[in-house]
Amino acid sequence: MILYTTMPQEIIFQTPESEYGKQTVIEYEGIPVLVEMNENHDYRVIQVMSSDPFHYLNDRCCPGVILSNRIYQ
Amino acid sequence: MDKLFFQNSNNEGEEQEAPKEDRPPSLMEKIQQLGQTNVPQLSQDSKIHCLTIIGQIEGHLQLPPQNKTTKYEHIIPQLVAIEQNPKIEGLLIILNTVGGDVEAGLAISEMIASLSKPTVSIVLGGGHSIGVPIAVSCDYSFIADTATMTIHPIRLTGLVISVPQTFEYLDKMQDRVVRFVTKHSKISEEKFKDLMFEKGNLTRDIGTNVMGTDAVEYGLIDEIGGVGKALKKLDELIELNNEEMERLVQ
Repeated sequence: MILYTTMPQEIIFQTPESEYGKQTVIEYEGIPVLVEMNENHDYRVIQVMSSDPFHYLNDRCCPGVILSNRIYQ
Repeated sequence: MDKLFFQNSNNEGEEQEAPKEDRPPSLMEKIQQLGQTNVPQLSQDSKIHCLTIIGQIEGHLQLPPQNKTTKYEHIIPQLVAIEQNPKIEGLLIILNTVGGDVEAGLAISEMIASLSKPTVSIVLGGGHSIGVPIAVSCDYSFIADTATMTIHPIRLTGLVISVPQTFEYLDKMQDRVVRFVTKHSKISEEKFKDLMFEKGNLTRDIGTNVMGTDAVEYGLIDEIGGVGKALKKLDELIELNNEEMERLVQ
């Protein structure tokens, strides 16, 4: 598809409202982490939001880890 | 492949040990976790905290989640906490940003500039547009040799009311950035504006893409360097700060 328009791309292809709710910031053992809920309703860590560099060495909440949602509900 | 399998079996062992897990993780979970990064464990409180300014600097409009953003509502409370916590003695700012919201960027810059604790910034990759005031807001700034900073005029997107006042507003907005940068770095207002309105450097745009060495030459950034140099400088500044505090106490 080739578009010939002055409208910006993000106005034509708008992000659905539901996409915005996917990511949240939760606290895991005192470390703020940005998480995304997967299809099993578990949280997958996307980014560690802390400013303490040692929090990035905690392998229980490094990016990619799945935090089981049962504990946090 | 060997490494992948090794990590996988490692995870399995850890999760079976953990008391929180009441059932062994499903195969799906293990596969999904393969992308995780493993880093050595060190339990210790750090006296230096680090803030990463990455991707877009998000302002009053929330960007779709596929964008990497730095949100000011995350950064500002962290800066307040860093200022308040007596255990934290210094702050390292790492920038790799494409710019973003002017007011959010200026808010972060002003917060960093007004911290009483020593701050050092490093620009890695790129510190473009509103990343420039954030980089210069620290007590001392570093830029990687290969990093660049794009300086260009401010622009508006969305609904623009086509009256002369809009132009004036934009000019005032730009002035805030120029004033902040010239106040917190060694670059002169004239030179900064020259770079900002230069023609023929950027394709289809006005402005200049300043390379690491040039940024130092213009006085925008203090020194060429990376993490090692930045941490060394921060330690020096912390020592100076502590000495000064002691003198004040006496």
